[in-house]
Amino acid sequence: MPGIDQVLSQAMGIPGVLGAGLIDWTSGLTLGTAGRAPHADHEATAADTADVVQAVARNATFDTAGTTGPPLEDIIITTGGGYHLIRFVDTAFDSQTYLYLWLDRAQANLAVARLRLRELAAGLVSG
Amino acid sequence: MGLPIPDRPPASAGLLDRYAAEHVTGALRSPHGCFYLLDGAVYCVEGGTAPGLDARLRVSGKVPAHGWEAARTTAGPHHAGARYLVGEGWLTQGELELCHLAALLDAAFFALPLPPEATSFTPGTVHWLGVVRRVSAAALQRATAHRRALLDRWQPWATVDTCPVVPVEPPRSGAAATGRQRRLLASADGRSTPYELARVLGLSAFVTLLDIRRLAAAGLVHLPRGPAGALPRRRPGARPAERPAASGERPAPTWQLPVPELFETADPDIALLVRLRTALEENL
Repeated sequence: MPGIDQVLSQAMGIPGVLGAGLIDWTSGLTLGTAGRAPHADHEATAADTADVVQAVARNATFDTAGTTGPPLEDIIITTGGGYHLIRFVDTAFDSQTYLYLWLDRAQANLAVARLRLRELAAGLVSG
Repeated sequence: MGLPIPDRPPASAGLLDRYAAEHVTGALRSPHGCFYLLDGAVYCVEGGTAPGLDARLRVSGKVPAHGWEAARTTAGPHHAGARYLVGEGWLTQGELELCHLAALLDAAFFALPLPPEATSFTPGTVHWLGVVRRVSAAALQRATAHRRALLDRWQPWATVDTCPVVPVEPPRSGAAATGRQRRLLASADGRSTPYELARVLGLSAFVTLLDIRRLAAAGLVHLPRGPAGALPRRRPGARPAERPAASGERPAPTWQLPVPELFETADPDIALLVRLRTALEENL
């Protein structure tokens, strides 16, 4: 049954992945990391991605009113050299975490990585 | 030549830092929470202000009402309470870790900093749940400071923290709430405070405070009335909302000011200034 560390180590098997993390976006607290982080700083990456997530999560604009599914799924940031994938972890209880994936653009397939990260986020809470 | 930049004053090392540096194992009891440490790292925090792991798992339907007590009584000398919860098939290891960390963060927020005069340390004490995941004392305090800064941006609306949440009826047009905020508004019975709503709904007390302050700023939740009999202070530039909107014009969005006596304003200048200030404070 996967815990945080197992899910992050599985995330490192996604093609083109450079690093992964699980972060609480209300505090920027890193709950787990694997692989590398931009500028070799997992803490700064957690703080910076948490800022992005907060900016999205506090706005009703991105909230799907009237649907039963999770309101937010992914945030994707593309740069010249890489992809930054953020996947919200949907839980039955109250929590504010996301899985973060840093990918090498030349090696990664964004669509594949997104689907794999979705599976991993689901696996974290369904076993 | 520029002026010398003064050295940052050394942050006074808190109690938690001191115990972390000594790599202690045991329980730190303070008025607002109990911190369990293993080798100097925090692995469990319990407090009365925020809903604990038990409330979160019970309200969400993850663990049946008797399950928590059963886990506690069967934990035994190996402190296997958490293993029992997972072993019964009520939740996955991932869920346990996520929920446990969420409860830990929330409880730590209301218990830090530890008051030295009212905190005691019991060496060797281990929580019956056992060690699920550990967080370093430094990371926990950084996370708590980050949360404090988020909440402080909405400090002018802090009067709603401890008062019953009363939604503004009918909801003002043009003010949109997130799904989470709509759920809070729907659950507000006019008697429950944000803390009580968090407990009943099994939600993070910190996020609930933040949401209620934002709702108050957006004018979707009433601000508590000031002390009876107190005369409203005149505020330069403030004027009552009496300017009629020109026919056919969209009504200008109004914002609730953090002054109970001056409930809201339709003056576009004041509304713009308040919006600007809120936006600036949000991006500080």
